[in-house]
Amino acid sequence: MDYGFSKEQEMLKKAARQFAETRVAPKVLEVDEKGEFPFDLVRQMGQMGLIGLVNSKEYGGSGMGHLARIVVIEEMARVYPSLGFFFQAGNLLMYALENFGNEEQKKRYIPDLCKGAKVSSFAVTEQTGGSDPSAMMTTATRNGAGYVVNGRKSYITNAEVADVLGFVAKSNGGFSAFFVEKGTPGFEVTRREPRAGFRSISVNELAFTECHVPQANLIGPEGRGMAAALPTISAIGRTGAAGVALGATEGAYEGALKFCRERVLYGKPISDLQALQFMLVEMSTDIEAARWVSYRPAVLLDQGKSVKDLGVDIARAKLLAVDVALRNCLKAQQAMGAYGQSPEYRVEMYLRDMLELLTAGGTQEIMKVVIGRAITN
Amino acid sequence: MDTLVCIKQVPHPDHFGQITLDPLTKAIRREGVPLVMNPVDRNAVEAALQVRERFPGKVTVLTMGPPQSRETLEEALAMGADEAILLCDRAFAGADAYATALTVAAAIKKFCPFSLVLCGSETVDSGTRMVGPMLAEFLDVPYATNVRAMEFTGDVTCLVEADLDNGCMKVDLTLPALITVNKAINEPRIPDVMGIIQVAGKKLSTYRAEDLGLPAEKLGLAGSPTRVAGVWEFKKDRRSEVLQGSPKHVSSDAVARIREWGGL
Repeated sequence: MDYGFSKEQEMLKKAARQFAETRVAPKVLEVDEKGEFPFDLVRQMGQMGLIGLVNSKEYGGSGMGHLARIVVIEEMARVYPSLGFFFQAGNLLMYALENFGNEEQKKRYIPDLCKGAKVSSFAVTEQTGGSDPSAMMTTATRNGAGYVVNGRKSYITNAEVADVLGFVAKSNGGFSAFFVEKGTPGFEVTRREPRAGFRSISVNELAFTECHVPQANLIGPEGRGMAAALPTISAIGRTGAAGVALGATEGAYEGALKFCRERVLYGKPISDLQALQFMLVEMSTDIEAARWVSYRPAVLLDQGKSVKDLGVDIARAKLLAVDVALRNCLKAQQAMGAYGQSPEYRVEMYLRDMLELLTAGGTQEIMKVVIGRAITN
Repeated sequence: MDTLVCIKQVPHPDHFGQITLDPLTKAIRREGVPLVMNPVDRNAVEAALQVRERFPGKVTVLTMGPPQSRETLEEALAMGADEAILLCDRAFAGADAYATALTVAAAIKKFCPFSLVLCGSETVDSGTRMVGPMLAEFLDVPYATNVRAMEFTGDVTCLVEADLDNGCMKVDLTLPALITVNKAINEPRIPDVMGIIQVAGKKLSTYRAEDLGLPAEKLGLAGSPTRVAGVWEFKKDRRSEVLQGSPKHVSSDAVARIREWGGL
């Protein structure tokens, strides 16, 4: 059974796997232990065209689409979830600019982001919570030819390494989306959050203090910031989180399967023991289900369905894929006994990383709220 | 400079454990095993692309195999090759190294003018290392095998460094020539997105037995002088035993024990 991949998508999957296995895998233990951001890998991904898959050719992307993007995220996460997560977070501003920005903004930023020559981040969450963005406190007040921004953002992925950061702030009675370049006076990254997982990825707190943001940095019309941010988070953030979860689960499962085939107890490989077989069966079945649910919204986005119409499908993908990832990465650890705790076997990394996905792109409970509203109304 | 690269689709080395042998046909059963481009053939494609970067010309990739071999050709096109040729006919089935080389040589003579032919030094599924040299003989060109480096010293000369079991040999080849390369020659590129997108617009020609002008008795199993006398699988087993005593005593004891268990 295939997933209806085109020939190009099949070849892309193979190329992404080859890249992940030959270029990424040898570095995983070291960069994860040190918590280093693998810039060189990002540049290589950019050179291969793996970053700009949902951006059009006109702006340096390939326009291969959402399914292609999910497949690449999945392949990266299968080997190193941090890289998959970097990739999904980095696409947020690229998508927002292409779909809601003006021509000058698109031409100025998207090509370098596609190439991996520049890195971006996107900030919505504040201390008031990410689940209720309307409670945000950051303000953008009109001042001459631009805005003065004050406020703080929390738990922002990639902010520390970003050359350009998109954000949403209250302005003129509504919410507006902007971007700011690294080094802009009044904008600073104030803290790197210690995290259990995604060690190579920085998650930061950042502050705007009397930060002057020119009018040219407004994404879309003033007061329509949420109309840009929410579809972006849904189409890119949530689908991407599902792709990361899916890839990591595959990585953990494959590690456990290999271990069970090689580990001999009672004179035979433990994969011959029914208790272990059942674990492996449950894992592989969960993965298959999560794959279908995660690919579905991407396929529909590629067919031209609107993000708004796919809110429930996307929420289901994120909800299921992350649930599947958490219980199966844990199961992989159980199957491997004490070896499962060893970094060398990587399964402990997958489990740590999946904890981070509980909140990325919206909590699991928010996904249920989205689905719940739709099925009860 | 026009370069031709001969490549082959083989079972994925990571899945060799799934391959079984058919004692009746004496062939390997590949059903369900993923297929990939023979690993060192990637190095041959990369070498050809690097030649094209220095000397303008065309890179053509060629394979002989069943219809699914097309995927391997498309991968080479995605890496950057300009054109591809698939030799596909049931009459080619069961060809040994000799019949393969003869068939490929006939196709090259008919369809592919070349200055250089590149092959991987060996395939992971049969590993005879014979197709390259035989092909050179049929094409009547000089050749070098197991090459780790090559440098063009003039328009028609190439200095190659070939690995031997106990050293290295430098050879000057006059083009046209055939070279089989090993993995030390380069690091093959991975197809990029634009390369993948461009595949659809590239020429991939398929030729059948009748296109080559070779008599049927020269093709496939009928044209193969090699006959497999028998096949068997190695049995993998795990045993452990602690041997004690002096190193000399332990080592001779270990050899005796391994022999006794059928390991030697």
